[in-house]
Amino acid sequence: MAYHTDIQISICGSAGDGTIAVGDIFKRAMAHVGYRVIAFDQYPAEIRGFGKCIARTRVATSRVYSMKGYSDVLVSLNDMHAIPHVGEVRNYGALIYDSAPMSAVAEGAHISGHLKPGHIPYALPMREVSELATGANRSRNFVALGFVAGLYQLPQDAFHHAIAAKFESKAAAVTKSALAAFDSGFEAGAASYQFDDVRIDAPRGRKNAHEARMMTGNGAIVQGCLDAGIETFFGYPITPATGIMERLAVEMPRRGARLVQTEDEIAAISAAIGAGYAGSRAATATSGPGLSLMTEMMGLGVMAEVPVVIFVSQRGGPSTGLPTKTEQSDLNLAVWGGHGDAGRIVLAPTNVEGCRRCAGRAFELAEQFQVPVIVLVDLYLSNRYETVFLQDENEFLPKDWKQTATPRAGYRRYELTTDGVSPRCIPGEVGGIHTATGLEHDEYGNPSDSARTHTLMTEKRYEKLQAAIKHPGINFTKRFGDSGKVEVGLLTWGSTFGEALEAMLLAQKEGIRCAATKVVMLSPFPVRPVLRFYKDCQQILVPELNYTGQFAKLLSGEIVLPVTRISHTTGAPLDVSTLLEAIRKAARKHRRQHNTT
Amino acid sequence: MTSSTHHVVLGNGIAGNHAASVIREREPDARITLVSAGALLFYNRYDLPNVFRGRQHWVDYLVHPPEYYESRNITLRRKTQVTELDTRTQTLSLAHRETLHYDKLLIATGGHAYIPERLLDYTKLMLGFHNFIVAMQVQKSVRKGGTVIMLGGDVMGIDLARTIIATGHRVILVLDPRTFWPHDVTPSDRVKYLQALTNMGVEVQDSGRVERIEMINGTGSGRRVFLENGGHIRGDVVMPFYGIVPTVDFLATSGIDMERGILVNPQLQTVRDNIWAAGDVCQIWSAEHNAYRFFYGYRNVKTMGEVAAHNMTGKQATFTSTVNEKLVVNRDGSLYSPFWEHD
Ligand SMILES: Cc1cc2nc3c(=O)[nH]c(=O)nc-3n(C[C@H](O)[C@H](O)[C@H](O)COP(=O)(O)OP(=O)(O)OC[C@H]3O[C@@H](n4cnc5c(N)ncnc54)[C@H](O)[C@@H]3O)c2cc1C
Repeated sequence: MAYHTDIQISICGSAGDGTIAVGDIFKRAMAHVGYRVIAFDQYPAEIRGFGKCIARTRVATSRVYSMKGYSDVLVSLNDMHAIPHVGEVRNYGALIYDSAPMSAVAEGAHISGHLKPGHIPYALPMREVSELATGANRSRNFVALGFVAGLYQLPQDAFHHAIAAKFESKAAAVTKSALAAFDSGFEAGAASYQFDDVRIDAPRGRKNAHEARMMTGNGAIVQGCLDAGIETFFGYPITPATGIMERLAVEMPRRGARLVQTEDEIAAISAAIGAGYAGSRAATATSGPGLSLMTEMMGLGVMAEVPVVIFVSQRGGPSTGLPTKTEQSDLNLAVWGGHGDAGRIVLAPTNVEGCRRCAGRAFELAEQFQVPVIVLVDLYLSNRYETVFLQDENEFLPKDWKQTATPRAGYRRYELTTDGVSPRCIPGEVGGIHTATGLEHDEYGNPSDSARTHTLMTEKRYEKLQAAIKHPGINFTKRFGDSGKVEVGLLTWGSTFGEALEAMLLAQKEGIRCAATKVVMLSPFPVRPVLRFYKDCQQILVPELNYTGQFAKLLSGEIVLPVTRISHTTGAPLDVSTLLEAIRKAARKHRRQHNTT
Repeated sequence: MTSSTHHVVLGNGIAGNHAASVIREREPDARITLVSAGALLFYNRYDLPNVFRGRQHWVDYLVHPPEYYESRNITLRRKTQVTELDTRTQTLSLAHRETLHYDKLLIATGGHAYIPERLLDYTKLMLGFHNFIVAMQVQKSVRKGGTVIMLGGDVMGIDLARTIIATGHRVILVLDPRTFWPHDVTPSDRVKYLQALTNMGVEVQDSGRVERIEMINGTGSGRRVFLENGGHIRGDVVMPFYGIVPTVDFLATSGIDMERGILVNPQLQTVRDNIWAAGDVCQIWSAEHNAYRFFYGYRNVKTMGEVAAHNMTGKQATFTSTVNEKLVVNRDGSLYSPFWEHD
């Protein structure tokens, strides 16, 4: 029987140990030789200091959808930080650690005292090996990386290539010492007897393997923006959205586009709305705290019907909260945030490829429906690496797609049309003079507080969005798993979908009839397909990373049927095994009620 | 003793494991730490010859699964080499620069292969059979129908020779005064036992001691053993079987009384408070012999673990051996050591 490789390696160290760097090299090397990779790094909130860093990489021979809830291998570059994670390693999995620490360790402070009986220890004098190979102890991380590669007989060349690429812009001596440390570790690993049962078989030959790219959710958003021809971006840095601006800042000027770092989030959204009003493909990016500041101006975008795209990457809140931890607790703010009846489009991609697609389509939707569009991700998806096979870069519609009706005398910028979408004109177009205002206005844009105008205009601003659900370029909901009636259904959104899908696949293997539906469009809400799914499921589970069940409540506002909430607020992604257990429990309940086995 | 007593058992072999489980039975709340220099859980070394019969996964040799230790709340510290014992502060120094405090300590570090001094230069050209990795190395080094050269020929070697021959290989045994270790063999018995070895298919080589060992053609595989009388023999591997010596190097500065092994009274207590020793590492006072002596073999070692555990937990138990120490020639002419019987 063909063996399916599916392993997760975690490297844990302190800031400054080079944990994330070697984790990055590991995933790039593995992706380069054709494995499917998903990786998620955790790093401390403090910019300076010695906080914990963990680089987790899942490597598989076929597609996988989330991180695993356990690791097959844990490498410790810092025992104090790694000890709490020892329990993540499964029986007969490996722990690789430094057997020659620099100074004496207090009783109980060495990781060897915390291994479970089922773990396989590999004690490697990392510091000594590094000193011998490079003359300094700084390259312990590369020694450890080499050991992993040697122990599991991974292609040394791919690692050499990834190391050289990583240090391309550094002095040659840096690459040389990293390679020397890596090779010494590799030798030690290759000479070690492999007692653990971690197997990494050669990747399956995939025709377009060379087209695979490693990308984060933020990287994919950037790619989507570029492929859609973004013209202006205004932003203010905030974790975990900063990466979007950083990359755009490199790429946009090369393409003649403009990026401005503003003094704050209010300025960023204001400028982006201004650019959108002027006909530019414009966007901004922020996180929950920044979105709070942006909501007032978003109302202007809704009222003045200006296209603008807002990328929001959620982190733990409220307030400054957990800047480097993930959470899905800004759904309410994204969908409802702000004053007045301010309908907008909210898209929530579920994976890295989806980030690119939603980013590109967001510009189309914003222009088509003349409205702010929020693309809502979270830190887990923003920072998660996946191997992706990208579509044609020209798949997104160009800006002038169904742009305006011809300006004419008596032009009504906010004309009440059958689909609610009015003919748009950008400043400077002959015959297109109109007033754009945050005040309620009539069809010409003239301020009006008449009851009839406000009623009709509010209706128009909501009604036009209904057509967005039919946009052909995005699956606004998608069902996976068993078709027809099922015992358990999972309704999910955003990054949590990966874990839900993995749990569902495992449950199916256990004979539970189940299905999972992802909801990519949160506003306007795609009621029909979700209701169809509801009707097929005996029990519905709604997992999400917030305390109050924000998505479940969004659902119950649209469809009054019971769901079981699975809320999780640890700052970390949901565990597949937790979800699997919840599915089993729901299936047992259903079987008890129906007396079936 | 109170429930907070920390029992440290040094050695994850037969003696250490039996001791740990008896301590747990007698003191359900005590803290127990089992320390081992090796990477693996306790496995059955007696069965290692079976690597020649295709049993090549270490898990197949496990005596207890991981859950055994978890359910008994025994902390297992593997890859943990003890380098020093300080009886004053009751601490063990570990090679990775950690210290481990004990309230009561059992030393059960067993023994390792004895190599005569004249052969120490050739250590790298020989392979023992003392753990799973080395056993696998031996098996991989012997070609189909190939030859194993055994030096000395203690009882472990003889036991292994039986399987090697049964799986289609040759065994050449270079005799030594320590052949049949640990059995005391009279000159007349020796002739009888050598005949039994021949009956078993062992090719006995009695041309004097080993002078030197060489690698054939420098290829890494294949060895040539030169004997004192000038002749030489060729084989795939050379294995020293001259008996074992106790592993006590880390005790050099401990102040514990030692001869070759750790000296203990019949209650297995050392001269130091709160320290006991059991298994191949200790020499027990024998009133009968008016000397400290070793008691080898599974049954003795297991009993020692139990006796030490009882005494560490407040009972007065005394070690006595009931094992027959004489080699026996079977009806079919082969050799059998009741001393070497195991469960
Ligand atoms: C291949 C083979 C076959 C055998 N067959 C038989 C047989 O058939 N019948 C029989 O009766 N006997 C047999 N024996 C002998 C038997 O294995 C020993 O008598 C027995 O294992 C001794 O048990 P022990 O608990 O005293 O020590 P061991 O089993 O040797 O265990 C010693 C433990 O101490 C640990 N240790 C040592 N030094 C340190 C240190 N400094 N720090 C930390 N840990 C340390 C080691 O890691 C190990 O876990 C055989 C031996 C071998 C090698």
